Amino acid sequence: MPQMTFVEQDGTERTVDAPLGLSVLEIAHKHGIDLEGACEGSLACATCHVIVDPSWAPKLNTPTDDEEDMLDLAFGLEKTSRLGCQIVMTEDLNGLVVRLPRTA
Amino acid sequence: MEELYFDHAATTPCDPRVQAVMMAALEQENGNPHSATHDSGRRAAALVEAARQQVADLLAADSREIIFTSGATEANNLAIKGAARHLASQGSPRKRIITVATEHKCVLESVRDLAAEGFEPVILPVQPDGQLAPDVLARALEIPTALVSLMAANNETGVLQDFTTLAPLVQKAGALLHADLAQAAGKIPVDVSAMGLALASVSSHKLYGPKGAGALYVRRRPRVRLEPLFSGGGQERGLRSGTLPGFLLAGFGEACRIAREEMAKDAAHLATLRSLFMQRLREHLPGVGINAENAPHLPGLFSVRLPAGLRALDVLEAATGIAASLGSACSSAELAPSYVLEAMGLTREEAGRSLRLSPGRFTSPAEAERAADVLAQAALRVRGQRMPEETACV
Repeated sequence: MPQMTFVEQDGTERTVDAPLGLSVLEIAHKHGIDLEGACEGSLACATCHVIVDPSWAPKLNTPTDDEEDMLDLAFGLEKTSRLGCQIVMTEDLNGLVVRLPRTA
Repeated sequence: MEELYFDHAATTPCDPRVQAVMMAALEQENGNPHSATHDSGRRAAALVEAARQQVADLLAADSREIIFTSGATEANNLAIKGAARHLASQGSPRKRIITVATEHKCVLESVRDLAAEGFEPVILPVQPDGQLAPDVLARALEIPTALVSLMAANNETGVLQDFTTLAPLVQKAGALLHADLAQAAGKIPVDVSAMGLALASVSSHKLYGPKGAGALYVRRRPRVRLEPLFSGGGQERGLRSGTLPGFLLAGFGEACRIAREEMAKDAAHLATLRSLFMQRLREHLPGVGINAENAPHLPGLFSVRLPAGLRALDVLEAATGIAASLGSACSSAELAPSYVLEAMGLTREEAGRSLRLSPGRFTSPAEAERAADVLAQAALRVRGQRMPEETACV
């Protein structure tokens, strides 16, 4: 099974199992990572905002306009900011690293 | 005698059709457009969204790309400072902010103010015809640049910048392009995508709408992000907090609708007025000219240069009944020769002989001829008064 790593606000790295087809938000919830996801992945909020490690960012699909609209409202936006609900695990993403935003 | 209003570049009268829309909005739809819990708020929101669509249509933009502001000054500040600050917050190494010497004060000052935040303001010169030379821009863009701000049409001379040539240079350099469209929008066709714009500012009261309203176009694809200037309730996609003035925006929207539908008619009318006016003025006042006459320009805004020996200030004071200005309204207040004209290479004396004339949608051909007569008579009077004094000095 693929794995992925969450880097928490204090720098703690948590590497967890990442089942294929689950979103980064779902993976976070499955493992008790503190990522809110208030709208449960329906693209109506920006509370599952994560910052993708720059080395991984080019490997993701480009965000849709709807995702960009929500990211407009995210706190602590960075160049590689994404919504966790919009990144779906694939074999190619095995080893993915994302950071939780500092000011969230 | 009724005033001959030839200062539409400073502000336009509110079109009666716009006034009617605003009165109806004030009487019936005066809820808070951000109140989603009751009908009055929802009706106000519908009014604002209809206006947003009308502004977007005028610019060939998507309504979701329109952020309402208090006017073009605020839109220019938000575009320039907001874009620069956002890039800096993302760790961008691009520190250069480019504009040109003939821009409106609010653009020049916004760019200059960014120096205090570690940016590098670059103010480029223009050619004698008022246009920015492509090679001058290309050279400035050799240093990594965050933003270039260029006005589409100049507010003192009506001269248009050539976005078809300039925009690709900005794009190639990876910088954002902002346009101040305050004078151009509603007067000449504007298509934000075709012009290669990331950001664009519009003012309501320059296109026969009410004062106190304006808009900033913020491109969605590729996404352009800004740091807001105001903290608050996060209205306008978080970019511009504050309750929107529904009735002003309804008027602004109507003004955009009219401008779009009647643009060709307005432009033809203004071109006729200009040629009638100049023909008449040249008859009475040989040696009078137009600054940057051969550059592409707006139909209804031109800078007249009086024959040598005449100060525009004296002539304007003697020309009772004409409302015109020396340069822009803001520099008229200072009564200093126009920095815009001096940047085009006019001497201080030549700039001091220049006045800005801008007839409008409701100016009649008879009024254009009368204005030319009044101005010519005033010039001759000023010259007559001056002559004996000069003779006396000899």
